[in-house]
Amino acid sequence: MRNYFLLLILAIAISAKGQTINDFQLLSTSGKNFKLSDNANAKGYIVVFTSNNCPFAKLYPERLKALNKKYEPLGIPLVCIRSTDTTVMDEDVYEKMIELTKREQFNFPYLVDGDQEVAAQFHADKTPHAFVIWKENEQWVVKYSGAIDDNGAEEKKVKHRYVAEAVDALLGGKEVAIKKTASVGCAIHYRKK
Amino acid sequence: MNFYRFFIKKIFLLVLMCSLHSAANAQYNTLWIPDTLSGTTFNLTVRDTFRQVLPGQQTIVGAFNHFPTWGPTLFWNKGDSVNMFVTNSMLDTTTVHWHGIHLPAIMDGGPHQTIAPNQTWNPKFRVKNNAAMYWYHPHLHMMTQAQLGLGIGGLIIVRDPIEAALALPRKYGVDDIPLVLTDSRFDNSNQIVLSLYGDTMMCNFTLNAQYTIPAQVVRLRILNTASERFYNLGFSDNRSFSVIGSDGGLLNAPVSLTRKLLAPGERVEILVNCTGQNGTSFDLMAYNSGMATDYPGWQPTNYSDVRFRNDLGGRNFNILHLNVGPQTANPKTTIPTTLTTNVFPDSTASIATRAISMALGGSACPPGYPDCYQLNATNFDMNRIDYRPLINSTEIWEITNNSTLAHPFHIHDAQFKIISVNGVNAPAADRGWKDVVVVRRNYKVRFVVSFPDYADSLHPFMYHCHMAPHEDAGMMGQFTVMPECVPTITTLTPTTLGVGALATLKGTHLNNITSVKFNALSSSFNITSDTTIKATVPTGVTAGVITAQNNCGTATSQAYTIVDSANVTVKFLLQGLYVAPDSMRNAMGIYADSVQIRLYAKSDVTTPAKIINTVVRTNGQTFCKLPASFIGRQYYICIRHRNSIETWSKTAVTLRNGLTYDFSRP
Repeated sequence: MRNYFLLLILAIAISAKGQTINDFQLLSTSGKNFKLSDNANAKGYIVVFTSNNCPFAKLYPERLKALNKKYEPLGIPLVCIRSTDTTVMDEDVYEKMIELTKREQFNFPYLVDGDQEVAAQFHADKTPHAFVIWKENEQWVVKYSGAIDDNGAEEKKVKHRYVAEAVDALLGGKEVAIKKTASVGCAIHYRKK
Repeated sequence: MNFYRFFIKKIFLLVLMCSLHSAANAQYNTLWIPDTLSGTTFNLTVRDTFRQVLPGQQTIVGAFNHFPTWGPTLFWNKGDSVNMFVTNSMLDTTTVHWHGIHLPAIMDGGPHQTIAPNQTWNPKFRVKNNAAMYWYHPHLHMMTQAQLGLGIGGLIIVRDPIEAALALPRKYGVDDIPLVLTDSRFDNSNQIVLSLYGDTMMCNFTLNAQYTIPAQVVRLRILNTASERFYNLGFSDNRSFSVIGSDGGLLNAPVSLTRKLLAPGERVEILVNCTGQNGTSFDLMAYNSGMATDYPGWQPTNYSDVRFRNDLGGRNFNILHLNVGPQTANPKTTIPTTLTTNVFPDSTASIATRAISMALGGSACPPGYPDCYQLNATNFDMNRIDYRPLINSTEIWEITNNSTLAHPFHIHDAQFKIISVNGVNAPAADRGWKDVVVVRRNYKVRFVVSFPDYADSLHPFMYHCHMAPHEDAGMMGQFTVMPECVPTITTLTPTTLGVGALATLKGTHLNNITSVKFNALSSSFNITSDTTIKATVPTGVTAGVITAQNNCGTATSQAYTIVDSANVTVKFLLQGLYVAPDSMRNAMGIYADSVQIRLYAKSDVTTPAKIINTVVRTNGQTFCKLPASFIGRQYYICIRHRNSIETWSKTAVTLRNGLTYDFSRP
């Protein structure tokens, strides 16, 4: 009986803690592999699932670079992942990801998730779909999931920079106020297995 | 001093009025009018995009070409051959269906003509439709509501000489205004939510739309693209308007109304006379308050079942604010009294009546679609053809609604003429060409439809409820227009067969049959005529149906069963033993005497095909058990008795299991 009670407490504790992310290794447009554990000093990551093709995702490169420029020195680097199905959309193939990286002068890794496993682990459903993950007890815990901010087309009219607000809260040792919003953009279609 | 005060007062009032006018108009957005494409070659690219619908975050939508949403209005001329290039730049598969257009099935853009991402589909066909407004929209099975709800679609305006000869408004966007009606629901991040009923009315995807129309006769071409909602159209000042066209063309004459119900998928063309009304305003409204509860969407915001709640439920609401401005040059100021003389299909020439019932699917609904509605108690099956009308034929379709909701029934390819609605003539505004007809709860609607061309036994057209959620859930069927050479089987005799038996098939177009199969087992056969085939039941046969195939198609018979032998009863009375009707003296128990039954094939009356030594009962019955191979074949029955004259049946008899041949009854 005591064991069951302890297990129940543990389950509640785990669920209250939030979704955890296992480390992964993906190829970057730089030609190198990327793993979360590569940066031993990272307190957390901003992970953004995006694509070359989605018109809404195309609104965000400058804002993504700005986020990385601000938060990487503070130990929260940004990384972008492309998980869309290139069997149906060849504009998202690796070679074109490299072109985009150069054209937009990305200052962050742009990774290819060809088998969509990482996107599935995060439960990413749109491009762009942003996550803030934080290291707690050697585990990566999702602290925010959803839109990058609340206005894609008109940055000057943004009222909530959800990702930045979440990272600022975590850096200040506070709870993230808005943990989840609906991601806005093009659907990620998962191949049937 | 007085003049000065008067002047200031007037200035103040002027400023106040301008402010009020500005404030009043600040609540409206200018109606967006889709741009147009003309010619005979059209390039359409469907893509994901976004647009500013509400303040704040943009809304992800779908669109064609460079449009913010929806697509260009295509202008086609009747008689032209159009060449369409449809490219899919979305991340999802789609189709583009030409709603209401008469064309080959393979060009129709239904669920079978999928366009994968990055693919281009190139249908081409001759425009045979009468002048009217049609439309194009996605038709991917189980995705129609999702894709149509994102605003993927466009209008088609067909022009023809008959319409062009009429004094009708024809300046697109000036006095000839297309209106696409829908209601949408948005979530907290301004994204469109898939729902049965929307909370926000949009006209041409514009919220709180307003438009300036000239003070003359104005033509409004109105389409309902809502998921399920009907709009009971009227004007805020209850002015009358003239209906001049329905789904598939002009009416014979304008019909004056103050209200017109428009179902999902339906179109209506109306004329509104604003002559002498420059400077006034009025609204196009949906007078949905008090509508009967079989019209979907009546449930208000506080309705008990949360699935059906909606902010537009059970009330009247504004669709479009109209400001009347100055007349244009050469305005139309009168409404024609006649329009055209339609020649509809002749219902007396109908060769078939199709009965289609609508009902809730209950436990038979497909997975993921509880509470679905069905046609003829079945769900849509991409691999099943439900009807096969013949080319050059006319049919009557009867749609009976046994469900609780009114459904707009739509058929692809053909425009039809409503014969009756619950036994009476259709409303005057619905007596023209239609491709969508409303079938209310417990109503029966009959229409006549012809299939003059585009026979194709392989590629089907659809028929379905045009409420997209119902269509996605399988309230849909398919038909193929069959070429005249397609065989049909009308009768099979006998229906109880055995190995070696002879089956006689009667039907049509049997002259060129190339194969006959018994439950997929090939058999030998003989073509007797264009209407008769005789096939021998093959060894190893099992019960099933017989199929007969030629180059045009396959005919299927009714079901047959298989027996190992044939039991035939021969009845006769021997004169020397006769006692009374149906009675002879007995020799032993119930038996009168021994006899011999001989069977002679019609083709050979010299050599008996079968000799059966048996006994005849006192009631005259003799039971013969024959091999199954005798079934279906013709034999003279001969009786031999030691003390009687040999007696033959007058004609050769086609044997079947269970046959009784009675010599005692001439």
